[in-house]
Amino acid sequence: MPTILSYVAVSGGKPTRASFEVLTRCRQIAEAQGWDLAAVVLAPDAETFAEAAGRYGAATVYAVSSPDFDHALNPPVLAALTTVIELAQPAVVAFPSSEGVKDVLGALAVRTGGAALADVAEFDVSDGAVEALRPVMAAKFMARTRAEAGDGSPVLVSVRSGSYTDEEAPVQPTVETVVFESDASTVRQTLREVVAAAGGAVDLSDARVVVAAGRGVKDDEGKRLVEELAEVTGAAIGASRAVVESGMFPATAQIGQTGKVVSPDVYFAVGVSGAIQHVAGMTNSRIIVAINSNPDAPIFDVATYGIVGDLYKVLPPLIEELKKANAA
Amino acid sequence: MKFCVCIKQVPDVSAPIQIRGGELVMDAGRAVLNAYDASAVEEALVLTAAHGGEVDVLLIGPEKAAETVRKALAMGAARGTHLVVADDAELDSGAVSALLARHLDGHAYDVIATGKQAQDTDAGLAGSMLAERLGLPYATNAVGLAAEDGTLVVTRQGDAGQEIIALPTPCLVTCSNDMNDPRIPNLKGIMAAKKKTIDTQPVADLPAASVRVLRYEPVPSREPGQKLDGEPTEQAAAVVRKLHDASVL
Ligand SMILES: Cc1cc2nc3c(=O)[nH]c(=O)nc-3n(C[C@H](O)[C@H](O)[C@H](O)COP(=O)(O)OP(=O)(O)OC[C@H]3O[C@@H](n4cnc5c(N)ncnc54)[C@H](O)[C@@H]3O)c2cc1C
Repeated sequence: MPTILSYVAVSGGKPTRASFEVLTRCRQIAEAQGWDLAAVVLAPDAETFAEAAGRYGAATVYAVSSPDFDHALNPPVLAALTTVIELAQPAVVAFPSSEGVKDVLGALAVRTGGAALADVAEFDVSDGAVEALRPVMAAKFMARTRAEAGDGSPVLVSVRSGSYTDEEAPVQPTVETVVFESDASTVRQTLREVVAAAGGAVDLSDARVVVAAGRGVKDDEGKRLVEELAEVTGAAIGASRAVVESGMFPATAQIGQTGKVVSPDVYFAVGVSGAIQHVAGMTNSRIIVAINSNPDAPIFDVATYGIVGDLYKVLPPLIEELKKANAA
Repeated sequence: MKFCVCIKQVPDVSAPIQIRGGELVMDAGRAVLNAYDASAVEEALVLTAAHGGEVDVLLIGPEKAAETVRKALAMGAARGTHLVVADDAELDSGAVSALLARHLDGHAYDVIATGKQAQDTDAGLAGSMLAERLGLPYATNAVGLAAEDGTLVVTRQGDAGQEIIALPTPCLVTCSNDMNDPRIPNLKGIMAAKKKTIDTQPVADLPAASVRVLRYEPVPSREPGQKLDGEPTEQAAAVVRKLHDASVL
């Protein structure tokens, strides 16, 4: 029976929500096709996450434990995934799309003789091939795309966060502990430093609420208002390219075609114009609230609720109202 | 340092584009140098100006794409190679990287640079595929580059922060447009580019593609939104009520 293998990404010591969304989609496909469902975890202590993968239906969990995965270098990840793919012989491998995954997807496809589909919004299996819907042209259009790898090689897909809803379907997984010794001679690059973004209490791509700042946020006062709105809503802070470039917000906060794709329940776009490259990263949000002084700003075309007004005048009462609601 | 920057001509996504019969129709036909590739060219020019060396560019595309090679030469690249194919839409990332690898096999470059993705397909696969085919160490999504003796120091944007990775040369790097503002060619550059030769090579046998676009479709539209009227206090109260009713806060 063919296998569909789902990659469970671990961040800050726990599996990401996007991983469970992808695992849920893989389970649906496995059920529809009569395939086996397996998951793979790479982490310093991968076995710890087997139970979580089982909770979402993974019958087999390939656990690869190595301190190497604590470092942001691609050779150990490529080597470990190649080993697991050789063992599991999956027809399809699905990943949650992240910078870490984007760093290895192409190389892994070449190494395993597979085909790759990046950043899909939807995917399914039909006639031995993977069919997916991919946003293209800065998410202005969708491309219905078909990928087929020959000779029993896998099709690799990475899935945009928020494309599917995570659903539990618990099973008791069989844990396959994969012995992995990374070969130091294949690691030519060295990691000198990781500069973690300051603040950012909540992980952006996993956040249920996002407050995104755009160029309308002009000064420290505006930044303080954005931070306060994020605090009262328990939100992660995002940003447009314009305010990342100006240095007001860290690069890790950038949302859009170049930056992250987010899919919160609520997205506050504060002083963001809604350029297509920004919108490309946030249209999966359930509710979009836009605050912009220009009534013709394109952000209002995608907003669920639009407030035409000066953010410096709108945010203070909004923060007050939210505090009141929290207290109630 | 000797650089080869792989570049692509892409449709200008801000120009009007429609779907007819599942195909994209670009009436204006406006095409540009992929913004991520432009950043890679810019960064390579800055590094070679500071440390010595040269920048070559390599493009796969239809005949019309020669203008994009010319643009990179006008920015300051020394030499251009144009691998001419009838229609690059037939090529997936795997085929593109295979063609580039065929051309670059046994190359003498210290650094091969590409954009982190193409602005039209947004796939972001060709760079690391090419590195794997050439057996080069690589880093993706660079937001900063520095040259040291025999080493390229890449600052890449990772999920949680910036990772500073040293790559021994030869190596490959894919570049973000968050890295710099690519120069706009000046008259001197444009004149100089006219004298530079483009090595034009027709491609006879195209590598097979395993990924195929069946058709283009519109993006599913969102429910029409609602503008909230009134004074800021009223707007604020209305939004909070709506969010509360939707049980999202
Ligand atoms: C290849 C490429 C990739 C890109 N990738 C990204 C990406 O990933 N993410 C991204 O964000 N951008 C990206 N961009 C840039 C994008 O095109 C826009 O330039 C950018 O998103 C604009 O940011 P902004 O909306 O903050 O600024 P602006 O477009 O300057 O808009 C500011 C908005 O604030 C409003 N405003 C001003 N003052 C106030 C006030 N007091 N109160 C309320 N509203 C106010 C204005 O009406 C305006 O609508 C990319 C561009 C390219 C070419």
